[in-house]
Amino acid sequence: MTAVMSPQDVSRVEDTSKARRHGGKRGGKNDHPLWFLIPALAVLVVFFFIPTLFNFIYAFTNWSSFKSAIGFTGLDNFITLFNSGTLLNALRVTLVYAVLVAIFQNLFGLVLALLLERDTRVNRAVRVAFFIPVIMSALAVGYIFQALLKPEGALNGILSFLTGNHVSIAWLGDTTWTIVVVALVHAWKWMGLSMLIYLAGLKTINDDVLEAARLDGASWWTTFREIRFPLLAPAVTFNVATALLGSMNGFDVVQATTEGGPGGSTELLNIFIFRTFGQGLFAQATTMSLVLFLAVAILAFPLIRMLRKREDVL
Amino acid sequence: MKKALKVAAVLATAASFMLTGCSDPGAGSGTQNNGPATWPAANSDLKGTKLTIWAAQNSNKVPDSVVAGFEKLTGADVNVVTIPDPYEQGIQTKVATGDKPDLAFWQPTGSQLTALNATTNLQSLDGAPWIDSTKPALKDITGILDKTRYAALITTPAVEGVYYNKEVFEKAGITTAPKDWDSFIKLGRDLKAKGVTPFYEMGKDRWATQWWVHVQLADAAKDGLWDRVNTNKEKFTDPTIQGAINTYSGLIKEGLFNDDIKTATFEDQADALLAGKAAMAVQVNSFFTQLQSKTDTATLNKKIGFFPIAPSGNIGTFIPDQSNALVAFKTGDAKREAASRQLLSYWLGDGYADFVAKQSTISLQDGVKTPATVPDALLAVSDSLDSAVGSMQTKAIANPDLYIFLADMIQGTKTPEEVAKATQDQFAQLAKAQGAAGF
Repeated sequence: MTAVMSPQDVSRVEDTSKARRHGGKRGGKNDHPLWFLIPALAVLVVFFFIPTLFNFIYAFTNWSSFKSAIGFTGLDNFITLFNSGTLLNALRVTLVYAVLVAIFQNLFGLVLALLLERDTRVNRAVRVAFFIPVIMSALAVGYIFQALLKPEGALNGILSFLTGNHVSIAWLGDTTWTIVVVALVHAWKWMGLSMLIYLAGLKTINDDVLEAARLDGASWWTTFREIRFPLLAPAVTFNVATALLGSMNGFDVVQATTEGGPGGSTELLNIFIFRTFGQGLFAQATTMSLVLFLAVAILAFPLIRMLRKREDVL
Repeated sequence: MKKALKVAAVLATAASFMLTGCSDPGAGSGTQNNGPATWPAANSDLKGTKLTIWAAQNSNKVPDSVVAGFEKLTGADVNVVTIPDPYEQGIQTKVATGDKPDLAFWQPTGSQLTALNATTNLQSLDGAPWIDSTKPALKDITGILDKTRYAALITTPAVEGVYYNKEVFEKAGITTAPKDWDSFIKLGRDLKAKGVTPFYEMGKDRWATQWWVHVQLADAAKDGLWDRVNTNKEKFTDPTIQGAINTYSGLIKEGLFNDDIKTATFEDQADALLAGKAAMAVQVNSFFTQLQSKTDTATLNKKIGFFPIAPSGNIGTFIPDQSNALVAFKTGDAKREAASRQLLSYWLGDGYADFVAKQSTISLQDGVKTPATVPDALLAVSDSLDSAVGSMQTKAIANPDLYIFLADMIQGTKTPEEVAKATQDQFAQLAKAQGAAGF
C-alpha cells in the first residue's frame, strides 16, 4: 500500500539523470565515500523497498482479516479482479482523472506564472496567496469545496445572486461532469506549485534572446510560442510528470468531496483499494495496489522519456 | 553486468527471507484456551492494572460514567482511546498488524465478528453473570458466532423501520399506522395524490439505501434466507433479494420519493422529516439521534413516530451497531483479560442502573428501570425488538457493499440486476476469503 511515485521521486529521477550527464566532469574526485549512503539507504530499504516488495508478495496470497493463516493462491486474485470489471472501470476513471488534473494544473500554473512574472510587490503577495493551497491539508481543501459545491452551497448562492434566479446545481452530483469538477479542485490545490516551477523556468530564460526577438519585431504571443515556451521544456517535464503521476495516486481530495460517487463515477483506484481493504480483503487490496504501481510505471517511463526528448532543443 | 547479478542476488535473498516470514502478525499471540472463563467479582482489587478501551468518535463518551465508577471501586486505570472514523476499518487494520486493546466497541453481528477473526482474537463471554438478568428476548439476539458469545450488548440494538411525521399523517387524515407492506405502499400513493412527498431517501450519503431492501426481506429472513445465502444455495440474484431490489427501484421510478433523492444527505433527511416536508423515512436509531440533536424530547414526542414494517406485518429488522456492544480481546495477559471481564460484569451489573440513567437509554434488564426521559419513538423501537428479525449484517457471514450499489442505482449508473450481481460477486469473494463451504 505504499505511494507509487511522489513528486520527490520524479525529481530524484531527474537529478540522477542530470548527474549522469555531467558525470564525466565531476568523476574522479573521491570526496563522497560510498558508505555515506548507508544511513539513508537503510531508511529507504526498511520503509520503502521492503514494504514495496511485500506488496508484490501479498498480491499472490489469500491474506485477509478473517483467517490467521496466509496461503499462496497464485494468480487467483488477478483473475477475479480482471473478471469482475470493477478494476478496469476504476483504472479508466483514474486515468481520466489524472489526465484532467495534468491539463488543468499546468494550464492554471502557466497562466499564473505569466501573469505574475514581474517582481513587483503586489505580484509577490499574490504568488504567496496562490501557493497557500499547496501547503494546506488536501482533506481540508476537499471538505471546504464539498461544502461550497453543495446544491444549497455558497457557489450556487453567488450564482443565484448574480443571475437573479434560484440556482441549485448539484456540482458533485452528476455522473458525467463531477469528475471534471473534482479534477478542477485537485488542480486548484496544486496549481501554486506548478506556478512556482514555471516562474523559476521563466527566470532562467536569457534576456539577450528575448531582446533579440523584440528587436526583430516579434509580438508577445510569437515570443511566447516560438521562444519562451520551448525554453520552458524542463519545467514542463517536471510539472506534467508530477501532476499526472501524482494524481494517478489521488485519494484525499476525491474522498473528501465525493467518496467515489455519484454512482461510482469518481471511484479512483485508490478509493477502490481503500474500500476493499476495509472489507478485510487485504490480499485483494494489495493486488490492486500492485496493479496501480504497474500502471503508473508503464505510464511514467515513456512519458518522462517523451518529455525529456523535448528538452533536446536546449 | 556483475553488478546487476549482485543486485539480483541480494533481492532474491531478501525475498526468500520475507517468504519464510510471511505470516499474519495478528495471529497466535492470544491465549488459545477457549474453555469457559472465570468471572471475577465486580469489586475485586485491580490496583496497578491498566485497561484500554477503543471507541469510535460517536461512542467514546458512552463509557464515561462506567469507567469513573469502576476506577473508584477497583483502583484500575481505564483508558478510553478514540479510533478515528472509519472506525471498523481502523480496528481491523490495527488488529491485523498485531495491535489489540483490552476491550473495544464493536458491531456484535456475525459478519463483523467474523471480520475481526473472533475465534482467534476475542475472549469467549460464555457464562457471563449478566446474561441471566437480561430480558429473555434480548439475551441471545446478537453477539454470538458459532454458538460462542463474543460480544456484550450494553444498549438496545438499532431497528430498521419507518420513522414518520405525526402531524403530516394527521393532516392527511391518517389515524392508524399501516399494518403490512401493501397498505404501507398504498399509504405512500395516497399521500402522493394529496401532494405530500411520501418517502425521503438520502441518495448522496448512501448508507441508508439498504434499509429499504432489508425490511422487505424480514419474512424471508425468518424462513432461513440468510442460511441459504451463506451456503451459496441462494444468491442475491435469485428472485427473493432481486425482487426486493426491483421493488425499491420501482417505487423510486414511480416518484414516491423526494425529488432530490440523488443529492440528499442524512442531515437533509432528518430536517425534511422534522419539518414535515416528507411523511416517512425508513431508517435506524442513529437517525433518531440526529433528530434529537435538532430538537427536544417534547417536540419529538409530539412530531415523530415509529412503526416497524415487513411484507407480512409490523416486523422490525434489527441491526446492532458499534455503539451497542463491546468485545473483549485475547491479549495474552491473563490478568488483564480477567480484568476486562470484570469491567464488563460491573458495567452490566452494579454499574448498569447508573449507566442507563446517565445515558438516558433503554434498559436491557428487567431489574433496571428505563428512565422517563427516553422519547416515545425510541420506546416503540425497543418494543419492536421482541418480534424483530436480523438484518443482512446480523445473519449473513459477510457484509457486502449493497448500500453503495443501491446508491449507484439511484444515480443511474447501475440497473437493479447489476446491483444484485455486484453484491453477489462481492459476497462470494468475502465468503471465499473466510473459507466458507460452498464458495
